[in-house]
Amino acid sequence: MAVGNPSKALSPYICSSCSRSLKLRSRKFATAASPDIYDVVCVGGGPAGLSLLTALRSSKATSHLSLALVESQDLDRAQKWHLPPDQYSNRASSLTPSSQSFLSQIGAWSHIDTSRVQPYQHMRVWDGLSSTSRISFDSPAPEPAIAHMTENQNIIRALLARLDSLEPISLLDKTSITDIHLGPPPSSPAPEHASLNLSSYPHVTLSSKHTIAARLLVGADGLNSPVRTFAGIQTRGWDYDRHGVVATLKLSSESSHNPENPRGVTAYQRFLPTGPIALLALPGPYASLVWTTTPTQAARLKSLNIEDFIATVNAAFRLSVVDLDYMFTLSSGQLSELQWRESVSPNTSAEANGDIPAYVTSVQESSIASFPLRLRHASSYTTHRTALIGDAAHTIHPLAGQGLNMGLADSKSLASAVEYAITHGADTGSEMNCLDKYNIDMWMRNNRLLGAVDKLHWLYSVKSGPVVPFRGVGLRAVDALGDLGLKRWFMRQAGGL
Amino acid sequence: MAFRPTALCNLSLLLRQYPRRSYSSSTSSVSLTEVSHFDKLASSWWDPNGSSRLLHQMNPLRHDFISSCLDSQPEPPSIAKRRYLDVGCGAGIFAESAARLHSTESVLALDPSSEVIAVAREHAQQDPLLLQPGRLEYGNKSIEDLPTPKSSQDQFDILTLFEVIEHINQPAPFLCSCLPFVKPGGWLILSTIARTWMKLAYDKGCGRGGGQVGAEGTHDWKKYVNEEEMRSFLGGWMGGGVMGGVRSQGVVFVPGVGLEGGGWWGEVGELFLWG
Repeated sequence: MAVGNPSKALSPYICSSCSRSLKLRSRKFATAASPDIYDVVCVGGGPAGLSLLTALRSSKATSHLSLALVESQDLDRAQKWHLPPDQYSNRASSLTPSSQSFLSQIGAWSHIDTSRVQPYQHMRVWDGLSSTSRISFDSPAPEPAIAHMTENQNIIRALLARLDSLEPISLLDKTSITDIHLGPPPSSPAPEHASLNLSSYPHVTLSSKHTIAARLLVGADGLNSPVRTFAGIQTRGWDYDRHGVVATLKLSSESSHNPENPRGVTAYQRFLPTGPIALLALPGPYASLVWTTTPTQAARLKSLNIEDFIATVNAAFRLSVVDLDYMFTLSSGQLSELQWRESVSPNTSAEANGDIPAYVTSVQESSIASFPLRLRHASSYTTHRTALIGDAAHTIHPLAGQGLNMGLADSKSLASAVEYAITHGADTGSEMNCLDKYNIDMWMRNNRLLGAVDKLHWLYSVKSGPVVPFRGVGLRAVDALGDLGLKRWFMRQAGGL
Repeated sequence: MAFRPTALCNLSLLLRQYPRRSYSSSTSSVSLTEVSHFDKLASSWWDPNGSSRLLHQMNPLRHDFISSCLDSQPEPPSIAKRRYLDVGCGAGIFAESAARLHSTESVLALDPSSEVIAVAREHAQQDPLLLQPGRLEYGNKSIEDLPTPKSSQDQFDILTLFEVIEHINQPAPFLCSCLPFVKPGGWLILSTIARTWMKLAYDKGCGRGGGQVGAEGTHDWKKYVNEEEMRSFLGGWMGGGVMGGVRSQGVVFVPGVGLEGGGWWGEVGELFLWG
């Protein structure tokens, strides 16, 4: 463009070798003096980062911004992601109504493959130790679902499809970051003419050796966020000494969805002393398992053969905590152990009225995985020209299924702060004029959620003592007060409304 | 535009009635003590925690107010891009933001303090958008130094005087000299601090604690102008057929809450007119 022009215009007068060297020299000068400058550079193409870029592109006020996405994975593969209808990814999330409405608002929901989405109307939550305490959440049929279960890949693919339908952004995928630094200080003495001073702009050096500068650098780059490290933002939190075991399960056919049988559209969660086990319905007879437990038990679960794994999951929703603990001491034979115990004390009433999930009959091949659980919260989400969203800003215990929803809420908030800044002529990298709005909007809200979920975790890890009967009373009270609005409030919290 | 400055200025309630030493030259509205005060403040202008923080926070409200004015026009001008003249721009809080707007063609920003203009120019270098040719231009001068526009092409769609009137020795002639720069159908938008007992108590009582507009010594309560005075002064212009209407809005700083806009808060009266 501007670089190519002088030699082109002069070409009739200069020999070709000279014009080539002129071109080379001017190009070198151009890159040294000014890297490509983007309004927003987002590092990380997960649901949080992609939804932010989609939100910015689909809003009229911000659609003209220059956007870049840096992602180490191959986005082409994410866009072509496809699984047959009898297979589901083991990373699924429960989308709250507010997440869903955000995805609709930015035009991504219509790209979701709805045949792979399962809305659920009911929740059954109970305590593993005080067996009488149980809480039921039911959203009556005409009301919207409590939440929608779907695979993270389905959401990512929809966001990429939506982005594809908008004005193109710079997609720098299969690209990692080698360095982030601030731009050079302004030359002194100051030159006569106004020259660009990028000393406050983060410069991102990519694995392609290319450097790009950002008016606003967004870290959507996960737990070990390089952007957060660059910004010098501390995180606080701890490791739970727990692992999350996930798997895609197939349930016995009686769980197939119909209005007469609500079992297929119910989310189940039982609080065991080692951590909660949750079964969340996917379409058809499929369900997603998230079992939070000790690293030892997680390792045992992963070492079992398929029949015994299935039996242990079934036992975790049915047997007493003492019996379950005993099953974990066995290296195999959980299936016959469960069959024997159930023949002695059958769970007939709970089975009949759908208070516990249907039997798991099979596990999708190689869908069992585990990951360590942590709580992390960044001390701030912003510094000058930097903002953190999603897991880079916070990592939450999965027991409330809020991780992905929190990331989407961050994106929504940051996009609206940027939109306000743009319509009021503010510099979108400025904390005072733009980013503070996002930090104030989300930090306390997320901190409350992180704290509440953390307290639930500790409350239910207590095995004995005075707190155990009380938490049962608490759950029962919440259940009984359903008509007085307290339960409604709990459901709203779960739904993120 | 039918416009008779001499006659109108005689009507003015804005001509100061109390004795005050004036350092202004006969050709300029600018007081030299004010200029040297702002020279000293220049370096802290863009400090987000400095004495100008409240001005930064007020800036979005200025844009909201301008938008509400433009929306109120029965027939909005068809031109897509607007030209701004920001008089008394300081280090460019409003001028930069106006220049960044998608709907802006150009901004010419003036301030008599050379230190402040130097800070403004330096700060604008941090934004490639503002360095686009013609987008934002600073002038170290007062409006009297600008040649009077000969045609409407040299005039401006929006002339702004934010927190300026209270620093001017003789506001009425100053406002008169601003008007020829506004395009027919354009807007003159100004904001100032109302001279109320509340503001006096506020400045004396807690002004130094925080929430004061500008650093200590920036403002003199006696120079504040009230909404009614402004309205009756501008009413004279309307009677002369110069202007179409006046709109106003109040803004107040609520400690712990921030800036609140509202019709009846007279603390910082934002007023505008169009001709």
